Amino acid sequence: MIPLQISPFQYVANGVVFSSIIVLAAIGLSLVYSIADFANFAHGDLMTVGAFSALFSVGFFRPMLGDAGVFGLPLWFFLALAFGMGAAAVISVVTNRVVYRPVKDSGSIGLLISSIGVALVYRALVFLSFGTEPERYGVPRQGPVPWVRETLGIAVTPRNLVVVALTVVLVTALHLTLTRTTLGRKMRATADNADLARVSGIRTSEVIFAMWLIGGALAAAGGVFLGLEELVRPRMGFDILLIVFAAVILGGIGSVYGAMLGGLVIGMVHELVPLFDQLGVPLVSTPYAEAVAFVIMVVILLVRPSGIAGDSG
Amino acid sequence: MLVMSPHDMGRRTLLKLSGLSLVGATAGCLEGEEETPTATTTEESGGGGGGDDGTTTTTEESGGDESSYTIGMVDSLTGSLAPYGERNTRGRELALAAINEVGIGSEGASLNISVEDDESTNQGGVNGAQVLVNQDGVPLLIGSVGSGVSIAIHDSVTRDAGVVQISQNSTSPELTTRPELLRMSPSGSAKGQALASLVNDDGHDTVAVTWINNDYGTGLSDVFAETFESEFDGTVAYNEPHDQGQSSYSGILTEMASTDASAWIFLTYANEYTVMVNEGFDQGYNTSVDYYGAESTVADSIIENTPEGSMDGMTGITESAPQDQENYQNFVAAFEENYDGTPTVWSAYAYDAVTVAAIAIEAADEFTGEALASVVRDVTRPEGEEVFNFEEAAAVLRDGGSPSDINYQGVSGPVDLDENGDPPGYYQIYSVEDHEYVFGDYITS
Repeated sequence: MIPLQISPFQYVANGVVFSSIIVLAAIGLSLVYSIADFANFAHGDLMTVGAFSALFSVGFFRPMLGDAGVFGLPLWFFLALAFGMGAAAVISVVTNRVVYRPVKDSGSIGLLISSIGVALVYRALVFLSFGTEPERYGVPRQGPVPWVRETLGIAVTPRNLVVVALTVVLVTALHLTLTRTTLGRKMRATADNADLARVSGIRTSEVIFAMWLIGGALAAAGGVFLGLEELVRPRMGFDILLIVFAAVILGGIGSVYGAMLGGLVIGMVHELVPLFDQLGVPLVSTPYAEAVAFVIMVVILLVRPSGIAGDSG
Repeated sequence: MLVMSPHDMGRRTLLKLSGLSLVGATAGCLEGEEETPTATTTEESGGGGGGDDGTTTTTEESGGDESSYTIGMVDSLTGSLAPYGERNTRGRELALAAINEVGIGSEGASLNISVEDDESTNQGGVNGAQVLVNQDGVPLLIGSVGSGVSIAIHDSVTRDAGVVQISQNSTSPELTTRPELLRMSPSGSAKGQALASLVNDDGHDTVAVTWINNDYGTGLSDVFAETFESEFDGTVAYNEPHDQGQSSYSGILTEMASTDASAWIFLTYANEYTVMVNEGFDQGYNTSVDYYGAESTVADSIIENTPEGSMDGMTGITESAPQDQENYQNFVAAFEENYDGTPTVWSAYAYDAVTVAAIAIEAADEFTGEALASVVRDVTRPEGEEVFNFEEAAAVLRDGGSPSDINYQGVSGPVDLDENGDPPGYYQIYSVEDHEYVFGDYITS
């Protein structure tokens, strides 16, 4: 039996992968917060819906494309990812039309409570269509990439690399959209002050439409990656929602860049807790990873009450 | 940038707060949703006071008119343990049918069981038992499911009345301290000990344990670690819980990998274990250490959702029925015919409880608590001809056999009640070969 050598960087690698998923989920949540002005509790279950939509599409993409692959993952997986993102985007736009827009006048608390109802409806629909058992995409697991293991001494799988790379791509695309396009400028203006934006001729309903589209698609990407790394479970999104909220609040609620940073911090802390434990930091042990992440959030909020990126504007 | 403007700070702070507290609250309420029923039916023990008042009335010989014998049963027909009550009802009815086909005694008297509901509570159990013991005057009482309920009935009713009590489903180690309280289901601690001995037999002296953070995981890991360290001089290098339904367990696994344990013991549920196996495979741990598990880490869903070769060589023990025994096969066939489904071990325990009671009545000189208590263990224990059902037992006894001449082999296992009134745990070793479960030897503890 070869004794395992665990490099501290293993925890960092775990953390980067986990953070990617949190970041994708946090962005959507933060967007809704800044533009539609309420805490969307259905966001976690929207991730689940995206993950299951992708799973559904695997059924026809897989026979169509066979096992041809890129970056160590079969091609059909990328199409399923796109399908899941599209489906979740459409579903979140429709949900906005059917639920959130009609109850908009009840204020942010009314919307918040409605979103809990929406979350339960999403989950019930997933239960109805896919059952309660965990599923998986069927992407073959290949174990750690040998050359990374030999050179850096850490175990990283091809799917880890794909998750992180695609997250970087999606986040960069969002950044460019927000800063370089008219739509992005309109979104930022609406987020800053919706009334003023409307007065200056911005159609805020278009902005809200775009916001749901982007938020839904990114949530689905997070959900699919979570399902790829672990299992596609009907409760997967809800179980992770608390951490996503922590990331959003830590980053400065309503700030997209804050959400990215918050997601990174929370994800890393969550996965680095075992390392702290081994280094002998008192009162810190792995079962309390979530609690530690929340303590960090509270500490940062005490120092900067509006979050990391909360008052830069 | 998408940041808040100062003027709506107050509202956003409110949103923030309400948001956080609501996540907390909903997480709290929904947490229990996924909780699977586990092998332990432990409830808070003790309690159940107020029943100790007038139970000095010794049981008179009342139930035994010539053509029928009446015994009592307290069962959880309603309340949180009602699923067990339903399984027990089925086991009881099947056993009763088999017994009454033969009849007790040379006259062929029939056996009646009068059933009281304990509502899955201690007080309900005590009330039901008082009705059965004090009004109906039964000398033998089967009951109950929850360990706390069984203990309350014993302490408040049956002990002082001299009534034989056989618990059908209680698994708490607490029952072991009451030798007069018999049971059909093995103590929960037997499994932890059996697992520790299996790991030790495989030559591991340093192990890492991770367990699911609830009563099931806590209880099982405590017994395991205790036995492995004190009895086998092993080292438990890592012994930490994990929460149910987490999105990732890679932190736990990485930490286990940084110990020098050669065996990893997973005392968890199927979903959690599936995630761990996948992550272990991703990080290449599966080839470096041996995995061990218990009964809840055996599931087809685990095999389906993990890659080939990710847990080959995994070993564990699971509660098992004696599948090679003909009486078990008959039991399954009868169950499937009547109830459209396969029986669980909980039905088998109830079946055995009724059968043991009937054999004891057949073997005892008279239908009193005292007479039954003197024979009930003997009929289940070795040294004696192995009998597999009531009919065979009755045949030996009517042929002039004494209670110690028979050794009942139940549909749930060998039963052999020891001096504490506990049956041995009956387990089967399983392993994973070529990504399939292979079931091997039976072990008793």
